[in-house]
Amino acid sequence: MEETALRVTKLRKSYGEVHAVDGVSFAVPVGRVFTLLGPNGAGKTTTLEILEGIRDADEGEIEVLGRRVRRIDRATKERMGVLLQEGNFEPYLRVREVFSLFASFFRSARSPAEMLKAVALEDKAGAFVKTLSGGQKQRLAIGVALINDPELVFLDEPTTGLDPQARHNIWSIVSNLTASSKTVILTTHYMEEAESLAQKVCIMDHGKVIAEGTPRELTSGLGQDTIVEFVVPEDTEFPTAVTARCALVLGEGGLVSTKTSDLAPTLGCLLDWSRSSGVPLAEMAVRQPNLEDVFLSLTGRRLRS
Amino acid sequence: MNGILHLARTQLVTALRERITLFWFLIFPVFLLALMGFIFTNVGKTQDLTFEVTIVNLDRGTRGGSFGASVVETFRELATSSAPGHPSLFRLHEPEAGNDPHGYLADEIAALRIGKRAAVIVIPEDFSESLYAAAAGPKSADAPATLVTVHTSGGRTSSEMALGVIEQVVARVDQEILAKLGLFDAARAVTVDQQLIGAESQTFAYIDFLVPGVVVMGFFVAGLFSVPGTILFGRESRVLRRYWVTPLSVPRFLVGFSLGHLALCGVQFACVWILGRFAFGAHVKLFQPLAIAYLVLAIVTFLAIGFLVAALARTPGAGMAIANIINMPLMFLGGLFFPTGAMPPALRAIMLTNPVTYIADGLRASVGVSPSAYGHAASIGVPLAWILGCAVVAAFRLKWDVGR
Amino acid sequence: MKALRALVTAEAHIFVRDKASMTFTFLFPLLFIVIFGYLMGGVGTAEGAKVGLYVAPKVAAARLEAAVAEVGVADVVRIAAIPDLEKAIKDRKVDFGAEWDGTTLRFVYDVRRTQENFTFQELARGISARFELANQGRRAILDVRSVVEGGEARADWFTLVVPGILAFSILSAGLFAVAGHVTSMKQRRLVERLVVTPMRPVALLAAVVIVRLAVVFVSTLVTLSVAILLFHVPFHVNWFLYAVFLIAATLGTMGLGTILSLLVKQPSSASNLANVFSMLMLFLSGIYFPIEIMPAVLRELSLILPLRHMADVMRYVTGVMDMSALRFWVICGVFLAVGVGLLPILSRYVVRVDRR
Repeated sequence: MEETALRVTKLRKSYGEVHAVDGVSFAVPVGRVFTLLGPNGAGKTTTLEILEGIRDADEGEIEVLGRRVRRIDRATKERMGVLLQEGNFEPYLRVREVFSLFASFFRSARSPAEMLKAVALEDKAGAFVKTLSGGQKQRLAIGVALINDPELVFLDEPTTGLDPQARHNIWSIVSNLTASSKTVILTTHYMEEAESLAQKVCIMDHGKVIAEGTPRELTSGLGQDTIVEFVVPEDTEFPTAVTARCALVLGEGGLVSTKTSDLAPTLGCLLDWSRSSGVPLAEMAVRQPNLEDVFLSLTGRRLRS
Repeated sequence: MNGILHLARTQLVTALRERITLFWFLIFPVFLLALMGFIFTNVGKTQDLTFEVTIVNLDRGTRGGSFGASVVETFRELATSSAPGHPSLFRLHEPEAGNDPHGYLADEIAALRIGKRAAVIVIPEDFSESLYAAAAGPKSADAPATLVTVHTSGGRTSSEMALGVIEQVVARVDQEILAKLGLFDAARAVTVDQQLIGAESQTFAYIDFLVPGVVVMGFFVAGLFSVPGTILFGRESRVLRRYWVTPLSVPRFLVGFSLGHLALCGVQFACVWILGRFAFGAHVKLFQPLAIAYLVLAIVTFLAIGFLVAALARTPGAGMAIANIINMPLMFLGGLFFPTGAMPPALRAIMLTNPVTYIADGLRASVGVSPSAYGHAASIGVPLAWILGCAVVAAFRLKWDVGR
Repeated sequence: MKALRALVTAEAHIFVRDKASMTFTFLFPLLFIVIFGYLMGGVGTAEGAKVGLYVAPKVAAARLEAAVAEVGVADVVRIAAIPDLEKAIKDRKVDFGAEWDGTTLRFVYDVRRTQENFTFQELARGISARFELANQGRRAILDVRSVVEGGEARADWFTLVVPGILAFSILSAGLFAVAGHVTSMKQRRLVERLVVTPMRPVALLAAVVIVRLAVVFVSTLVTLSVAILLFHVPFHVNWFLYAVFLIAATLGTMGLGTILSLLVKQPSSASNLANVFSMLMLFLSGIYFPIEIMPAVLRELSLILPLRHMADVMRYVTGVMDMSALRFWVICGVFLAVGVGLLPILSRYVVRVDRR
């Protein structure tokens, strides 16, 4: 059996009537990227903050790197690295000073020079934090999260608000982590990020885990169906025959989608109708199901709400 | 230990790199010392002040001459003579020959009212007659004095100061006239002297009184504003939270933070002392054990008060508001700059519970500037009680992270 | 009009609910007045000064006592020995001392009573002048009669300080209305939300001006009332001129705030700069210390400081000090011109989108 880096059992956290985390359980194998996926307010961040030691759970068990703990203690923190969703560094510290400072909090840590190289901030070593761009600040924060060469790394929304280039930089850092057998717990609401990085996904909504598995396992749960999507003018009316035969789902803004196990006849039906009615099928896409579809099928809502 | 030293260094360098902190904690105390040092060491010396003074001589004179004219002459001399490199004391305005002096006087008084003149001196018409009569009369010792009228402008300090100078000049002229009349023997004049007591050292100067006060004020402002500012802003912007997800504990953070604060106060002290010593010649002996103990006590007391403010405030804005409200009474009712004379009971109570009062008193006593008014036991005990009280409140109330 | 009314209401609510602003605007000047009133009220007047007198054995004391009494001190206390006199001075049983040994008259002061010693030294000068003559059996045959023209005859240090504090609170209100409130809105990108509506930026500014004016009137009136009721400061307020000046000064200091905001890169730095600027002006404008006792170069500098002129005008409209009508209207005119003239620039600053 795979070794477990982190096991969470029946975690609960409530704020008054609101159950932010409602009986969450999952296990993270060593050396994998584990992703908590879900829309804003799903409870991902609260769950992560409990595991990072920022909040205390009301109930539940936590086992970190083989140690059962009531709350995340100092010894555990020595072996963990955390990238917070929101946080700042002293604006008037230089980048290398930030690394030196945080390195001093651990019994053993990598050198600032190493970290500057690892996150590609060598040319910004002497720059003040306040002069860094968003992407650079995030790389700095990741570097700080990895300064103690942790076995377990928490990355809370690491690429939110970053441009595509910066996002890809972060993704390559994360990939390198698993190559060196580190376990990564990642939260995101970007489906493509989860699909591209995660080896195990846990989908949360309203404080509960609603699905768990590898991306392939989750999407294959939707069957072998192919998804066809296109856009028509909003007031378009489809003949009943077409709707029934193609199992059309009408969405907002004229978005129409269908799931089919038999692609050719479905496409043929739609194209025939388009030709005869004169209504064009704009932005047509034919694809395999993704995690967004999984979430949609489980909750009736999109990840990006 | 390493983490603690790094935190201390962080606290110090970030404070010094931020221009606004640099201003309030280094430049402002130095500026205040320079300004007050200059003012209080030069007070009473009006070398650089020139008073615009009008003199109108209405004296009719007598056959023997005109005393009025000699008075005018005295003022003319003062208006033309001066110490080298300094302007003269008066710029004198007089009516031109042939001008109607009463009309001129009315114009000058109008100018006085709006501040164009500091004083208008009027020598009355019967000046010489009255003086001769007073000198020659049998009971000259009891005769009422002849009066020179000096018009001043209400609410203007320059006018008041000019009046003071004019009174001294008139007193001198009075003596000269009496001496001329053989009624006063200058050789038997009284020697007038003055002595300042309350200073232990012989070479006391005002700056020796000011330097400890400004040093304590600097520490006070640093503790009251910088400490809650750093903590509350750090908490709100989640700079602190980045620390709490590492093995760094709150106690270690506190030690590092406090050491950094101590270093910042050290830099502040150095700047103030250097200015006092080399620009104003302060001799105050701050580098001896008891004085150093008071300095450290001051830093720690105000650091504790800073933590108290951070504990009482929920947001950085609220913290700064609280600090500003506390600042005034503690600073001004602590005897740092202003004498704490007759006060109503409420203010007296504040003064007697104010740690600044005792620290300033103890520090001044320890450097020999003035004797201790409260005794070293109180001067150390009251601040210690404050430290304890603030620490207790902060331990219970201070939140190190948002939304816990 | 509807928008303006709504904005004024919103601005008023924002101001009143902001504890920090309320504290600074209302509590601060009051605290100042109360503390300084109790600390310094009476300093600068000679009433109440107690003199300790030591006369050496076998030296005649009568003439000295008479000279002291003539000067108008509150009380004369005869003391038997010099060490007792020094102790009495240190213990504040007397305010200063005079030692006469037959040839030298020595005045003794407590070095810690910095401000008060000026007054005591003036008294001492009066005593020594009279005694010099009295010692030889003479009286002065020449003396000064003082007549106060215009302004307030009884203006002591505190009476002069109160209008200065009022001027400072107007300065703060106007300055921070822009280099604090407006810049904060800009920093937090609140202004952008308003600007993308049909609301005209000038309406927002008008609302800020209206609320600030109301605040300035209320806070200065409250402070004035406390000074008069609690400390019996002898003000004779010319309400018309008071109102004119308040309006002009509020607008003018808002203009100053605009200038400061344009000087800084980050809107958030504006309030820091405004703080520094106003604090320096407070010390250099003759409010705490009379202009006359400051170094010459600083006296010259004070002439270009707005607060110096604001303090003078406040002393004028409260009847403490006289001023030429021309000067008053010129000062008001300049403030008004600066304020109104800079409003379009402020308006452009408000809508300008800064690069992040």
